[in-house]
Amino acid sequence: MRGFQYLVLAIFLVLGFRFYVLQVARHEDYKARAENNRIREIPILAPRGAILDRNGVVLVDNTPAFNVVVFADDVANKEETINTLVENLGVDRKELTDELNDKFRPGSQPILVKQNALASDRAWISAHELEHPEIKVELQPQRVYRFGKLAAHVLGYIGEISPKQLEYPRYKDSGYKSGDIVGQGGIEAVYDKILRGQNGMRRLIVDSRGRPVAELEKIEPIKGQDIVTTLDFDLQNLAENLFTSKNETGALIALNPQDGEIFAMVSVPSFDPNVFARNVVSTENRKEVRAIVNDPAHPLFNKAIQSIYPTGSTWKIMMATAALEEGVITPKSSKIVCGGGIQLGNRFLNDSGGNHGMPDIHAAIVHSCDGYFYRLGLKMGVDMIHDWVSRFGMGQKTGIDLPSEQKGIIPSREWKKRVNPRDPVWKDFDTAIASIGQGSVAVPPIGLIHAEAGIIAGGKFHTPHVFKEAKPTQLEEVKYYNDQPTELKLSPVTVDIIDYAMWGVVNEGGTAGKVAFPRELNVGGKTGTAQVIAREKVRTKEHKDHSWFIGFAPMHTDQKPEIGVVAITENGGWGASASAPKVKMIQAEYFSKKLGRPILPELVALNAQQAKPEPAPAGARPRIDADRKRQPVRQ
Amino acid sequence: MVEINQRNLRDVDWLLLLAPVALTVFGCIGIASTAPRSELKKQVIALVIGLVVALVVMFTDYRKIIMNVAPFFYAAANILLVLVLFVGKDINGNRAWLQIFGFSFQPSEFAKIATILMLARYMAKYRTGSITVKDMVIMAAIVMPPVILIALEHDTGTMLTFGAILGVFYFLGGLRKILLAVGFVAVIVGLIGVYPHLKGYQRERIDVILHPEKADPRGFAYQTIQSVIAVGSGGVMGKGIGHGTQGKLGFLPFAWTDFIAAVVGEEMGFAGILLVMVLYLVFIWRLIHVALGARDRAGALMVMGFVSLITFHILSNLGMVVGIMPIMGIPLPLMSSGGTAVISMFMGVGLALSVRMRRFVN
Repeated sequence: MRGFQYLVLAIFLVLGFRFYVLQVARHEDYKARAENNRIREIPILAPRGAILDRNGVVLVDNTPAFNVVVFADDVANKEETINTLVENLGVDRKELTDELNDKFRPGSQPILVKQNALASDRAWISAHELEHPEIKVELQPQRVYRFGKLAAHVLGYIGEISPKQLEYPRYKDSGYKSGDIVGQGGIEAVYDKILRGQNGMRRLIVDSRGRPVAELEKIEPIKGQDIVTTLDFDLQNLAENLFTSKNETGALIALNPQDGEIFAMVSVPSFDPNVFARNVVSTENRKEVRAIVNDPAHPLFNKAIQSIYPTGSTWKIMMATAALEEGVITPKSSKIVCGGGIQLGNRFLNDSGGNHGMPDIHAAIVHSCDGYFYRLGLKMGVDMIHDWVSRFGMGQKTGIDLPSEQKGIIPSREWKKRVNPRDPVWKDFDTAIASIGQGSVAVPPIGLIHAEAGIIAGGKFHTPHVFKEAKPTQLEEVKYYNDQPTELKLSPVTVDIIDYAMWGVVNEGGTAGKVAFPRELNVGGKTGTAQVIAREKVRTKEHKDHSWFIGFAPMHTDQKPEIGVVAITENGGWGASASAPKVKMIQAEYFSKKLGRPILPELVALNAQQAKPEPAPAGARPRIDADRKRQPVRQ
Repeated sequence: MVEINQRNLRDVDWLLLLAPVALTVFGCIGIASTAPRSELKKQVIALVIGLVVALVVMFTDYRKIIMNVAPFFYAAANILLVLVLFVGKDINGNRAWLQIFGFSFQPSEFAKIATILMLARYMAKYRTGSITVKDMVIMAAIVMPPVILIALEHDTGTMLTFGAILGVFYFLGGLRKILLAVGFVAVIVGLIGVYPHLKGYQRERIDVILHPEKADPRGFAYQTIQSVIAVGSGGVMGKGIGHGTQGKLGFLPFAWTDFIAAVVGEEMGFAGILLVMVLYLVFIWRLIHVALGARDRAGALMVMGFVSLITFHILSNLGMVVGIMPIMGIPLPLMSSGGTAVISMFMGVGLALSVRMRRFVN
């Protein structure tokens, strides 16, 4: 029995030692863990900044939405939580399982599992909060694109940050974390850091099931900065209607050549960014989203900056400017024979406009004489052409503040070597067709208007942009766009000749003469026809040429042009026919807004006929009984 | 049967009576800080009943209890265990409670004391000498009925308690050293052999102790981890009575029953734990002292059986609380909330006091 005493003593010593280790030696560690246990930091999402047009029309803001979230820290049984959500709230099993198993996500960060919870969902959750305290409903801001498709490509859309994006330094080094909602296109993506604001937080004492017992602290979220864009709602809306009303596709950009501010940017077909806003979780799995992503017409594609097209005759403006600056032709001596085309070896390149005799540079531009420019191009040579269009920014990105801009292709010996290894040597034939903007020429509309707006502005190339100003918040100061134009020395005489010729295209019975631009606006422009395939093979609409028009106004000796518009109507046929009327309408709208009086009877009629879209109700609280069936009225 | 006189009163071992009362009161503090009011009330009532039982038993000659009362007590305990299987109440997944006159009580607690009495009764025939293999078999047979009935309740921890009691009786019954060694090896081999055949949850609970780093903190390891956090976060002086976050906010499972020591550790710190352990040591020391001074073998073995019961419970319970023993659902004697357990413990205290008072041969 003595032995038994030693046994008891030994047992007590072991236990006592263990208590000592836990309570004295490792006390600090366990103290921290006990604190972690009971204190929960619940983020309060900051509303993203609104996006406005240049006159203060709200294009994008937020509305409160009931979202179902799951707190991973409080999940007692993963399988059971998943089953519950799948069966009772209709959440997708696979996406929920993936989210719950995401190792990079801190357990304290709530997982968004269902947006816009129905009243019945909320009722179910509040009825089961005892069994499932990990499932909660939070009132969170949801992005609203007030006018649906309007300016969708410029505004962009949002979505959950992808694991791949998290690897990028621009996200990784700025404190982004798994589960964050970020801009995935347009301004939303480029200016995400300005728009996102700073999340707030509630520090709560919770019990073991995650039920709040008391609130220790509440830090209010700080809304992101509101962004004022350079867009003009009326011009943007009109521009989109001009395409959609005729069921046409293409792109249009309207900007101010004097500072690069974009008034309107259109790419048709478009998409409704609200679809992404209401499917921010596991976006790629949602039917609605897939319909947009897999659409063969690629509505997400911003043709204004991402699609490259042969410029057609709009290219001639650059050719003429370069030739005058290099002295290949001079203001006094610029006559070159047209000949209705040119014979090069065994091939004859014809002039689509017939034989223009022996025009000077003015007449050659006004009547878009191909024969003149074939010969002018051959005089200049491909290297000079390449050198000059490069100076105009062709073949490079303009640096517009929108994602995924394309550089385009410009004529060069290297280019031919690369793409045509069977016939790598540059020939006169290549120079000739490049001189009228075909063959080795393919640029996005933004590149074309950037270059020609720079020439019109006397050699000042302003970077086109949509950001005007970020409004200050309690956290951030006001920010403005920093315009840094690149300058190219151009002789005023050259610019004058070009201006006058473009004016002639519109006002002297040139290629755009039939479009009847209002005389008082002094519009100057250039038509272009981008050949899709050889003319004789054209069968269907898809084979029809793309129609270009680029126009600036006012083109008058004592006024600076203040609006430039480029339009490309895909498969619209000859340049003046489909695109010039669009440019005309935009310019008329611009000046009638500016002057405060109607300018074009057609425009007045069009505006009366097409009512402007009503914005979605701003900040409307979600209706509590939205999904309750309406009671039949008793008679 | 009950006899009170001056000489007996003078021989009462007050420390042996006070230590368990102090432990129960200590337990009540932990219960008060974590459990609903009704639990505390029940525990206090049980303490009062327990004291009355202890006094009644104390003034009764233990030999008469062993010889005359034990068989009836044993039979009654077993009948109640059978009843539990049919009309028992589920509490926390164990069907171990009987509902009588609005009180729920746990027959297995009484069965422990009854079995100790029956084993002591069997050993009463020996004045000296070692037990034989036949004795061992008979004693095992005495233990079997309650063990089987408790096994049917799926109460592994309580089953093992009976093993500990039987082991002490074999040991103190003078089992030959070689047999003891063989038995010890057999138990170890048996445990290792049984491990792969354990039910999933039983194995998980052992794995949590063997490989804490691999355990799922939200699954089987949850209770152990939370208990260790509670104890560790208490520090030297504790968070103060009623200020434990682990116990009060529900992180600690079964805070006022099986994990009462974690509550004490959290709220009263290492100091509180030391005080509790000293009280238990005093209690056990006095019991062993009584056994050493007992005038017959039956009395000594009965008290030692009780010591074994208490020691096994303390080891399993505190071991579980600090994360070095698997969770078996064994309460901490006297401190865990549970009326039946408290009353049966005081019954044991009464028996020991009775042995103490009658240590001199008349």
